[in-house]
Amino acid sequence: MLIEIDKLALSIRGVAILHDVRLSLGEGEIYGLIGPNGAGKSTTIAAALGLLAPAAGTVRVFGRDPRREARAVHAGLGILPEQGGFYDWMTCERYLTFFARLHGRSLSQSELRDRLARVGLAPRPGQPIGSYSRGMRQRLGLARALLNDPLLLILDEPTSGLDPRGRRDIHDVLLALAERGVGILFSTHLLDDVDRLCRRIGIIVEGRTVAEGDVAELLRSKSCVQRYRLRLAGEPPRAEVSHVKIVALDGGWWTLDLDPARPPQAVWHDLIAAGWQIVELRREGGGLEDLYLALTERRVA
Amino acid sequence: MILHVSRVALALTLILVAAVARAGDVSVDLAPDPKNPPAPQMGDNILFRSVIRNGGPTTVDGVIGWLSLVQIDPGAEQPVDLEDWSAHKAVTATALKPGETLVAEWPLRLIQSGNYRVVVSVVSRDGGGIATSPFADFEVREKPVVESTRVLPVAVGLPLLIVAALLWRRKAA
Amino acid sequence: MNPILLIASKESGELLLSTRGLACLLAMAVVLSGFGLLLVGDTELSLLDNAQVVYDMAGIVTALGALLALVVGVDTVAGERERGSLVPLLLTPVSRDSILLGKLGGVAIAWVAMYGLAAPYLWAVGSTGQNLVDGLAAVALLGTPVVLGFGFLGIGLGACLAMARTGLLIGLIALVLAASPLLLGPSLRQSAIGRAFDAVNPFSAAVNAYDAVIIDSVPIATQMLNLGTTAVWLALALWFARTSFHRVAR
Repeated sequence: MLIEIDKLALSIRGVAILHDVRLSLGEGEIYGLIGPNGAGKSTTIAAALGLLAPAAGTVRVFGRDPRREARAVHAGLGILPEQGGFYDWMTCERYLTFFARLHGRSLSQSELRDRLARVGLAPRPGQPIGSYSRGMRQRLGLARALLNDPLLLILDEPTSGLDPRGRRDIHDVLLALAERGVGILFSTHLLDDVDRLCRRIGIIVEGRTVAEGDVAELLRSKSCVQRYRLRLAGEPPRAEVSHVKIVALDGGWWTLDLDPARPPQAVWHDLIAAGWQIVELRREGGGLEDLYLALTERRVA
Repeated sequence: MILHVSRVALALTLILVAAVARAGDVSVDLAPDPKNPPAPQMGDNILFRSVIRNGGPTTVDGVIGWLSLVQIDPGAEQPVDLEDWSAHKAVTATALKPGETLVAEWPLRLIQSGNYRVVVSVVSRDGGGIATSPFADFEVREKPVVESTRVLPVAVGLPLLIVAALLWRRKAA
Repeated sequence: MNPILLIASKESGELLLSTRGLACLLAMAVVLSGFGLLLVGDTELSLLDNAQVVYDMAGIVTALGALLALVVGVDTVAGERERGSLVPLLLTPVSRDSILLGKLGGVAIAWVAMYGLAAPYLWAVGSTGQNLVDGLAAVALLGTPVVLGFGFLGIGLGACLAMARTGLLIGLIALVLAASPLLLGPSLRQSAIGRAFDAVNPFSAAVNAYDAVIIDSVPIATQMLNLGTTAVWLALALWFARTSFHRVAR
């Protein structure tokens, strides 16, 4: 396991922030940490980084205590904070070179270009970071987080403020990293991101983990179906498609409930392969959103 | 270019008053030191000398002589507080015998520019009057505290240089 | 490159290459220019050697230097924290002490920049040259620990307070208190409380040394007691900065 957090309790200046948080993340996994504002997501991340000392419970990163063995832990970590953390007067080359040197590396020009290309960043020569768009900054932050080729990436709201194309590009980068075995922990409010990227999630409310584990299992255990409405070009084939239950037909719209064990993209693939001519697709709620709302209903900060 | 009002320096002039008043039989005169600069300016030190003489037949007790300074620029006529100009403002003698003299030196540090008149006055404890010296007029030329030829390029140039650097950085951005 | 030098050069870039830093320097230059231009128009002084103006300018340079160092110090921790750039720095393999030394180096470079900016002004007003060179040396020797001390105070305040604004406010209050000898008349400074305050105030120590060296033409080597006061202040500020910075969590 890359991260193992169990029964974590933590106070800051005498105020209890975390009461009982658990989290585990393995290699190649993308783990979504979600919860309302003020729930304790950033504090949990700070504890995982070894920046805050637990009052109770255990925190292990790469099997080590991140406070006692900070240097060894940080050597395998990459972090992208919510604000990004940039020096606006620098160019991206200078910025990456600065951090590479702090990590004890030197980057050649070709290596620099390669790392920028990996995150899809291509600024004008000499362009200061202060003039970058939000999407460019997030890409640069990712490039910085990847400088030391980390085994574990921790991202705080990595796609917030990005347009759909920008979000999709970041998703693709993260999926590629996960395929190479990098474990990714990211904190987000965007359930669409979690839907697309995460196999495992943890939901924190008021400093406690209220749900943690495999997304499909959680949805099944809480009976949170994913409901969609489809408009078709013609009549659907008669053959049944597994993992799909037709609920209603109303004014040319088919309402379907999807098995939470199967990701929606896979279901669409199955339907199309079975001859369904899908013209339009709308989400009707349910799924992760229902789960999140049900668990955070009475506890919104 | 030194920015100060440049005036033609006048030589120290001595204006002799026709008659010298006497405090009893005491008389006083006033003369500038020959070593005084011919065209003094702010910051210079000048010196006047007085001789207080008892020309009468009897001893004069409790002699006090003091220096007075007035500014005589038209529209700015006023007495001048000698606080910063001179630490030596008065001389005294317990008694001045007949024929005896008391010599006093009056150093002045020239604090402010303008036209001035200085006079020494003498009274005695018993005397029925006041004796004054002849006037001495002098002009003090202005002197700048700092040289604007040095200050202006720095005071204007350095901020402009930084503004140029700022604009260059913004253009780069 | 050594990480301390790397971080120090990054900090100096923040001051000298960013618009925010250049605007700070411009503000300092405008104040010095304003004072210089005021002097050009002055035709009367009670002390006519312009030792007085060199002394006044030295005091202003020290006060402005302390203000700049304070702003840089607070920004280099609290400002970075608010901008999100502190955590990535803390998570590099560089030790806390090295990061701190780099930031202290940034404060020192800010003072060097300020001194470099002020030197032409001191030269410009010191036209008759009374003790101008000694004055420059006094500002360098005694002004430096005073200014750096405020920079380190800023780092400590930025580290232990949640917001940069709060750190700046507290630092400014401390600076105004310390610089009050420049504003108070001699009679107030001669009171019992004034004398006690003067004895421990690093600003007073520096200003008294400037008075002795620039106006009274006393050799700078006689100012060791004043130098000692400023050195104690510097040591205390450094201790505060280190203790606070080691507690920074995020």
